[in-house]
Amino acid sequence: MKEDGALLSVRELQCRRGGREVLAGVGFDLRAGEVLGVLGANGSGKSTLLATVAGELPLGGGRVALAGRHLAEWKVEALARRRALLPQSPSLSFDLDVRTVVGMGAYPFPALSPAELDTLVRRALTLADAQLLLDRRYLALSGGEQQRVQFARVLVQALSARGVAEDRLLLLDEPTSSLDPRHQLLLLGTVATLARDEGLAALVVLHDVNLAAQGCDRLLLLAGGSAVALGTPAEVLTPASLQRVYGVAARVFPHPLRAGLPLVLFGAA
Amino acid sequence: MTCAERSRSRRLPRLLGAALLLAAAAPALAQRVVTLGGAITEIVYALGAGDQLVGTDASSQYPAATAALPKVGYYRDFSIEGVASLRPELVLASDQAGPPNALAQLRQLVPRVVVLPAAPTLEALLQRIDGVAAALGRPVEGTELAARIQDEVKRVARAPAGRRVLFVSSRGGRLEAAGSETAADHMLRLAGASNVMAGERGYKPISGESAAALRPDVIVTTTMSVAARGGLDAFVAQPGIAVTPAGRAKRIVVMDDLLLLGFGPRLPEALRQLQAGITAAP
Amino acid sequence: MSTVLQDAPAWSPQRHVAPQALLFALCLALPPLAIAAAASGAVSIPLSRVAGLLAGVPAGDDQAALWRNVLLEVRLPRIAFALVVGAGLALAGAAMQALFRNPLADPGLIGVSLGGALGAIAAIVLGATALGVIAPAAMVGSLAATALAYRLGSRQAGVAPLLLAGVAINAICAAAIGYFSFRANDTQLRNLTFWNLGSLAGARWDLLAWLSPWVAVLGTLLLRDWRAMNALLLGEREALSLGFALSRLRRRLIVWCALLVGPLVAVTGTIGFVGLVVPHLVRLPTGADHRWLLPNTLLGGAIVLLLADWLARIVALPAELPIGIVTGLAGGPFLLWLLARRGST
Repeated sequence: MKEDGALLSVRELQCRRGGREVLAGVGFDLRAGEVLGVLGANGSGKSTLLATVAGELPLGGGRVALAGRHLAEWKVEALARRRALLPQSPSLSFDLDVRTVVGMGAYPFPALSPAELDTLVRRALTLADAQLLLDRRYLALSGGEQQRVQFARVLVQALSARGVAEDRLLLLDEPTSSLDPRHQLLLLGTVATLARDEGLAALVVLHDVNLAAQGCDRLLLLAGGSAVALGTPAEVLTPASLQRVYGVAARVFPHPLRAGLPLVLFGAA
Repeated sequence: MTCAERSRSRRLPRLLGAALLLAAAAPALAQRVVTLGGAITEIVYALGAGDQLVGTDASSQYPAATAALPKVGYYRDFSIEGVASLRPELVLASDQAGPPNALAQLRQLVPRVVVLPAAPTLEALLQRIDGVAAALGRPVEGTELAARIQDEVKRVARAPAGRRVLFVSSRGGRLEAAGSETAADHMLRLAGASNVMAGERGYKPISGESAAALRPDVIVTTTMSVAARGGLDAFVAQPGIAVTPAGRAKRIVVMDDLLLLGFGPRLPEALRQLQAGITAAP
Repeated sequence: MSTVLQDAPAWSPQRHVAPQALLFALCLALPPLAIAAAASGAVSIPLSRVAGLLAGVPAGDDQAALWRNVLLEVRLPRIAFALVVGAGLALAGAAMQALFRNPLADPGLIGVSLGGALGAIAAIVLGATALGVIAPAAMVGSLAATALAYRLGSRQAGVAPLLLAGVAINAICAAAIGYFSFRANDTQLRNLTFWNLGSLAGARWDLLAWLSPWVAVLGTLLLRDWRAMNALLLGEREALSLGFALSRLRRRLIVWCALLVGPLVAVTGTIGFVGLVVPHLVRLPTGADHRWLLPNTLLGGAIVLLLADWLARIVALPAELPIGIVTGLAGGPFLLWLLARRGST
């Protein structure tokens, strides 16, 4: 399959769940260094797309290739060393330390030395703006703090033991749902920085259109399991496409602070 | 030889003889004994050796003196160390004593372990008496007891023919009837009664319907079963019992568990009571 | 998506013990406790004499010979039994709790204990009397029941179907046991009843000779999977994304637990609550990181059963309590307390 350097290639992806067709022919390429945001209304297939690309769900049709190899050919352990997934609403309810939770990101890499792991854990927590939580217990944290700790864990997985020119895939499903505005911006900023500096490719499902526009290089808009638009925020965020995706009238303005960035306001005048 | 020296020399052999006699009797007199099994305990008392007992098991409830003895648990699951801590010289155990392997372990800790058959038959009872008597060094008392029991059993009148009898017990809340190859069945046969449940083997749960179908004229049960139900009236009122001819006429014979089923030395007395209860006019 | 049986957090603000410290403390506590347990029982043996007696006794000293026999033939095998069985049951409980992500999980939940009981009881009623036949029968029973529960319960994702299948299998096993009890003759029935209450009285060196390595091997296999169990705590999706093949992992954990618990049930009968309670006792002060939870649970289970057996041996002298009663009396209220806490959080 032609990949021309794309870390993740998706072609005509179909997926059925519970007898219903949730994804009907989605396709895109994702390269290292790029952040692709996925937008759509509830039930549009965003999470299913992520789960399928992550290797959790079987493909109903189409092809997904990671680093040039079909997803079906990847073994679970190898997949874990190449892509990291942060699902929606993590549900840890056992009493673990933050240090342990973040350190779990390195489980696919048992060869990592304790010193290397410790350095990585601290770095990941700093990147997630959670360095003060290092010695805390996970269950004692607020929802937002827990989400940042989980994000740090995923970063550890994405950054562990990276060989030269081995690009990693980062899959984030609504990583900002419990975060305050400051941390929302921080998180996406971190993702963008890591994509640029560490060669990560990031696929991020987001709910907030404007946040997505600000934080992502390109956007994929989904409606009813199909791709409505794929391109830069300026290209895809039009009233027509937004109406199709969210079923509500939207106005698009030039962003007052950032040139070239659109600002979306929902609701009729 | 002087007069004094002569009397001294006559005294010595007599003293020696007495000492030898004492020495021969000493083992039987001095032995500390632990029994595992209610019938065996009764036999020990019947042979007059009750004061040698230093401990017994939970099923040994007769005679009243047993209440003062330390209990090492139920004979089917007794405490090995518990027995050893009583420092017995002899343990008399039913062959049903357990857990498995416990008797073998006990032999390592106690000078003598004698195992006696547990079968609920007259023959086995006689063997038990013989075995206990031999172990205790009281063969004469043993033979006497065995002979007396055999004699009395022969003289117990038989129940009138045609009396349909059923034995039930309340086991763990469930009502069960005794079929063949049970202690109850053997007692009923000895008493000359006909066990309506003899077609089944062992204890079987019984329902109102099956009890009614069997039409027993007399029902025999134990004091523990009646107590478990909360009294004779409650016992009779049970669906299984109430519908039978026995239940309607209140012909229920209640006897102590150990007495009726233990097949110990009180067997003749048990048979007399049983026979009297079965024969009693409605 | 979180498991259907999502539990309330089993954490307490009072946690303050480092798991490494607990491990150290348990290692330190075990030998003296074992020695003290060895020195006490129905037969009074002075503590100071214990070591000497094991070395040997002068000929003619009957008292010392008795003590030595009691130690070697009755007490020491029993204590070793308690340690091995307690460790095995507790470890299996911890593994099950990780697998089901439910602190109420227990090897009995998925059919291991009752399946083992059914195998043993069937063998007894069909005429077997030797442990050499009964123990393998129990293991076959526990494996079969667990395998069936797993196959039925793993058709759908999540742990709820598995637990329901376990409930169904347990019900079937209980009914089958009831049938065999019905068919049992009087002698067999008494054996069944005793055996079901659980007892360490059958401890023998020749049993330990195969049971100890067996528990050691399976224990090691379970200990090695601490990362997988931690990952399971995060959630099934997270565990999968971290590289743990879920169906393989579940199968592995279930088989090992069944292989571990089956023979234990065969030789001691069913001893309840150890697998349920000990992991909790460890988790409450030190947290759920399996890297430390598993070894702590192993040692904790050994000590708990040692203490329970000790109590059973000395509380009703000269008789003994069945050990299932001691663990039940301690474990039952603990379980109630646990449920009450969870309801209020």
